[in-house]
Amino acid sequence: MSEYQKPLPTPTELTQPFWDGVREEKLLVQKCSGCGTLRHIPKPWCANCLSDDYTWSQLSGKGEVYSYTIMHRAPATSFQTEIPYAVALVELEEGVRMISNLVGVPIEDVKIGMPVKVVYEHVNDEAALFKFAPA
Amino acid sequence: MSDALKKVAIVGVYESAQARRLNRTPEDLYKEIVLGALNDAGLTIKDVDGVVGGNPLLNEGEGRGMPGSVFAEYFGTELRYSGQALTATQAPALGILHAMEAVATGRASTVLVAMAAATPGFGVAGGDSGQSVSGDQWLSPFGLARVGYYGMFAHRHMHEYGTTPEQLARVAVNHRKHALLNPNAIMHDRGPITVSDVLGSRMIYDPLHLLDCSPVNEGGGAIIVTTEERARSLKHPAIRVLGFAECYSAVDIFHLPSITAFDGNGGQSGRDAFAMAGVTPNDIDVAQISDHFSISPIIELEDLGFCKKGEGGAFVESGAVELGGKMPINTNGGYLSHSHAGSPGIFDIIELVRQLRGEAGERQVPNARIGLHHGVGATYISAQTAILARD
Ligand SMILES: [Zn+2]
Repeated sequence: MSEYQKPLPTPTELTQPFWDGVREEKLLVQKCSGCGTLRHIPKPWCANCLSDDYTWSQLSGKGEVYSYTIMHRAPATSFQTEIPYAVALVELEEGVRMISNLVGVPIEDVKIGMPVKVVYEHVNDEAALFKFAPA
Repeated sequence: MSDALKKVAIVGVYESAQARRLNRTPEDLYKEIVLGALNDAGLTIKDVDGVVGGNPLLNEGEGRGMPGSVFAEYFGTELRYSGQALTATQAPALGILHAMEAVATGRASTVLVAMAAATPGFGVAGGDSGQSVSGDQWLSPFGLARVGYYGMFAHRHMHEYGTTPEQLARVAVNHRKHALLNPNAIMHDRGPITVSDVLGSRMIYDPLHLLDCSPVNEGGGAIIVTTEERARSLKHPAIRVLGFAECYSAVDIFHLPSITAFDGNGGQSGRDAFAMAGVTPNDIDVAQISDHFSISPIIELEDLGFCKKGEGGAFVESGAVELGGKMPINTNGGYLSHSHAGSPGIFDIIELVRQLRGEAGERQVPNARIGLHHGVGATYISAQTAILARD
């Protein structure tokens, strides 16, 4: 198996549970214990009520494309062989938004509003990525 | 116009040659623009007692000290004020605000705001250039550079409002047209472009084509702010700042309720600046609106109230924003065709000063009296508006 060349997530203490979840094929976001607001990307406290307390809550992984771009220029040489590829801002049905690649769909068929679901890519023994595919 | 702003004026501007590569050091470029702006104002280095912005001399020698200390040592002067403005594109434009505040409060009498972008060494005055994917766990694994956000903004705007790729292209076409009238624009000698040229150029961040995107280039500019009292004895008519406001909403687009309106909720910085200045969009004669990508000015024109939300594309297509139209924008050619060097917001202020002084040559807007600059940060999530006027 050839070594994975692209950038991998570099979790911090705060974001480690998110990426651990991805490895276990779970999409986790923080849920504020004070007001129930879900948040992504992880933060030490809730911007809505400023509570420091939260739990990790698993999302359904279903959502829709809120917007997208097709990258025709690789931002790093490791993506040179991938272009063109789709990157989407996905709105999950629970209301939070995430950015990832859209896979399993020809780039010309990508549309705003298209239903998508999370899929997981185990890129090596340690790391996994979440991506979205047509639902 | 606030009482504080009444005490302050912009009295000197200078812009170096702009080019893909200048083949000079940032330090040398910095010296040129500092002396150039002072010469334009009719002042000398001894008059400067404050600086704002990055100072490439920090890279020289032992690379130590505050920007103000380094400036003082290299130019043989003594400063009372050293300010920083830390958003990549708009740092110098925001720097004007810091300079004005320093002068208005009496902390300094004459403040220099400068931006020199040349390789090697110092480039952008602070902040992430957005070009790299390293170190961001939420973007880099997916091959998204922050500049790719602009493709997402454009697609969403097209989806919500029916904006077309032709309308985006028209922004680039207009700004090129203006650049042909500006001898210092990097695209001055490159000839006009058409909508089909833009749509036919290679795709970069879909739906943005190569000609929808600003180039990467080098150049510098500097501005001198001093007291209103001092300005009265100087050679150029003083340019006043009637209103200036900022808006900060988020670091990243995950948190924005809308990605088709970035200046807060419905043009916050524009509203505040118009209110401070006591003018309305109808009073503006000329505007410089950040155009890193062709989608930006379409959204910014809407946020500022020059047209209704969603009508930015049609507004541009109507020709309203061209020289001769009712709201000419980016008369110097904008970032798209004039210069996108370093923190190009400084060129917006310089161009407005020239227009208001009546020094804009072939691209002069007749009798321009009130000008507006609107800028958005590298990822669109900070914005500011400045309204300038000739005395
Ligand atoms: Zn909360």
